[in-house]
Amino acid sequence: MATDDGSARGAEKTEKDASEAGAAGHGAEPRGKRSENGEATYLIAIAEALWEEMERDDRVFMLGEDIGVYGGAFKVTEGFIEKFGPERIMDTPICEETIVGTAVGAAMEGLRPIAEFQYADFMTSGFDELVTVAGKYHYRSGVRLPIVFRGPSGGGVRASNFHSNNPEPFFAHTPGLKVICPAFPTDAKGLLKSAVRDDNPCVFLEHKWIYRRIKEQVPTDPDFTVPIGKAEVKRDGGDLSIIAYGAMVHRALEAATELEDDGISVEVLDLRTVWPLDTEAILRTVERTSRAIVLYESHKAFGIGAEVSAVIAEEGFDLLDAPIVRLAPPNVPVPFSPALEDAYIPQVENIVEAVQKLSKW
Amino acid sequence: MVTKARDREARRGSGSSGASGSGAKGDSPGKQIERLGLEQEDLTRILYFLKLCRYFDERMETLYRQGKLPGAIYSGRGQEGTHVGVAFALRKEDSLFPTHRDLSAQLTKGLELKRVMAQYWGRIDGYTRGRDGNSHVGDWADARTFTAISHLPIAYPVACGAALAYKHRGEPRVALAICGDGATSNGRWHEALNMSALHDLPVVWVVNNNLWAYSTPNTQEIPVETIAQRGAAYGMPGVRVDGANVLDVFEAATVAVERARKGEGPSLIESVSLRWRGHAGHDPAKYVPKEMLEDYMQNKDPVKRFQDLLQKEGVVDDGAVAELESRIKKEFDQGYEFAQSSPLPDPGDVELGLWADDGYWDREASRNGGLS
Ligand SMILES: Cc1ncc(C[n+]2csc(CCOP(=O)(O)OP(=O)(O)O)c2C)c(N)n1
Ligand SMILES: [Mg+2]
Repeated sequence: MATDDGSARGAEKTEKDASEAGAAGHGAEPRGKRSENGEATYLIAIAEALWEEMERDDRVFMLGEDIGVYGGAFKVTEGFIEKFGPERIMDTPICEETIVGTAVGAAMEGLRPIAEFQYADFMTSGFDELVTVAGKYHYRSGVRLPIVFRGPSGGGVRASNFHSNNPEPFFAHTPGLKVICPAFPTDAKGLLKSAVRDDNPCVFLEHKWIYRRIKEQVPTDPDFTVPIGKAEVKRDGGDLSIIAYGAMVHRALEAATELEDDGISVEVLDLRTVWPLDTEAILRTVERTSRAIVLYESHKAFGIGAEVSAVIAEEGFDLLDAPIVRLAPPNVPVPFSPALEDAYIPQVENIVEAVQKLSKW
Repeated sequence: MVTKARDREARRGSGSSGASGSGAKGDSPGKQIERLGLEQEDLTRILYFLKLCRYFDERMETLYRQGKLPGAIYSGRGQEGTHVGVAFALRKEDSLFPTHRDLSAQLTKGLELKRVMAQYWGRIDGYTRGRDGNSHVGDWADARTFTAISHLPIAYPVACGAALAYKHRGEPRVALAICGDGATSNGRWHEALNMSALHDLPVVWVVNNNLWAYSTPNTQEIPVETIAQRGAAYGMPGVRVDGANVLDVFEAATVAVERARKGEGPSLIESVSLRWRGHAGHDPAKYVPKEMLEDYMQNKDPVKRFQDLLQKEGVVDDGAVAELESRIKKEFDQGYEFAQSSPLPDPGDVELGLWADDGYWDREASRNGGLS
């Protein structure tokens, strides 16, 4: 495809695993189906959540770029237009401010819009409507805005500066938006269903590295949901806690497995929702291990790590045996070259090293 | 750049007010009234709103200058013909998406004066319960107006969404959005027009061209002769009317509203007048030529013009006008008393009202500021 993602697609070919093809860019690949044993990828789990919620409630509709006949850049909405029609699967021009504004106006009139951003990077192009209108409107007027703003975020797929960002800190910082960043297919499905049913505007950040890589058994009950604002321990451990979300949860789990051989028992807490932040779960894991690493893929300074660290320092100072460590990308744009991108995003070896160092403290 | 701007000014003709004169179809005012099907009661109501908005604007400025009014004021004086004309063309169930400048349109659409005043004084009975101030007000529950936001023209895309909901549900309702001449330079103005035309949304786009955007005149903001002609870029009708003639504005708005209601898509209306006062209370607007201001105040006053017209046509007499005036003064005085006696919001509630389920906006539902 002759798009600005052409480069990204070229780079993918250098990757080993066939399952990774198409992960960075526009999904020439169909979304696919659950595997025979019933496992669903994160991508399929998200599509199921959208499909089920649209079936359940005819006030729910989607709008976004290329989501109709084409089925979306990542093929999340493949087949939707045939089932729900062009009114409920609404293709829009490239006008992020107006996509957000249209969602707001429709929500004011009682619909429940789901706005898709082709990439979460383009949320900055709709930023003003998101932050200035959607986030602040209920506080000023009492009018509910049940909207989901969803988009693929994150790097690690050689998609370069403008297709790899993690915008969650912007939205967690601004009032009135819930910010959800799931790491597993089951959580993605359950949280997205909760977001659609929520009466507040929710920013739902999917992670494109996870889309086709992580599979698991995912509930089929149409009323299965996961509560917004609740973290979950994905691996129990006693020596040290890694607090993470999104793709970094998978890196943390890999590192934890390696560290087991060194005799270090790592607990991995997956925040799942960035805002509202589950401070209780954070303090609980620190209480258990007395050592904490905050691991995240958005920029290190003034971000999620600062908030989580401050919660621990303000409310759990007595629980700590060592300083809090933040492990996150530097405050530079997401670089393209595999050499640079791997230096930018925390890798398993960086995590292992950080854990070893902190556990000796 | 300056030369180009002068060229444009020359092309536009003097004072950029080359809008159509009284009776858009060139007939007499009497015929226009007949054609529009306006009864005495309607005409008197239009006059009432024009006079109410003018009176409110003047008294509020006095209170501001006396240091008795906290916050800001954004005068709509001189533009009442635009505001009342477009809002009067809407039904109750239609929605209005205004800016800071358009309080007169909101009052015409049904905002209660006393609650607007409580808003100005940051009181609990204001529509935003003290969470916003001045003309950044709205009432979705009843008057169906959007709570105005400073950023321009941020409500334009939102109007697309309301209109989309009407279209989806097959409801014969219309969204009408207003912004200033300056706001038409902003990207989302164009995005919204494009989207509305593409999806045949039942929207009316109104531009209150008061010839200045803060200190910037039309010539330095707009590279085309009229804003109305920009409608062509989106395949929608664009008309330019004289904001001094409320009936011309009303007529253009009615045509556009009915077109939208019939599912024939959006329209653009540029209504031209002059911002008589500064951008906000602090601005003496020395950049507006004195003679121009005097000309507009003496010869293009929408309130006086309409009152003279109704008197000439025998719709109202001196007694009726005096009655309106005393009613308006009484409403203002009562509104002022109401605002002063309304409690300030509880500081302990500062964090509440953000989330749909925190219960704050359900509390004391009689206040109901904007609740749907
Ligand atoms: C996006 C944005 N930039 C700047 C401002 C500050 N500002 C407030 S009003 C104004 C002038 C607006 O002019 P116009 O659109 O003609 O409306 P008017 O005030 O004349 O009714 C400016 C620059 C703003 N409100 N929004
Ligand atoms: Mg202006």
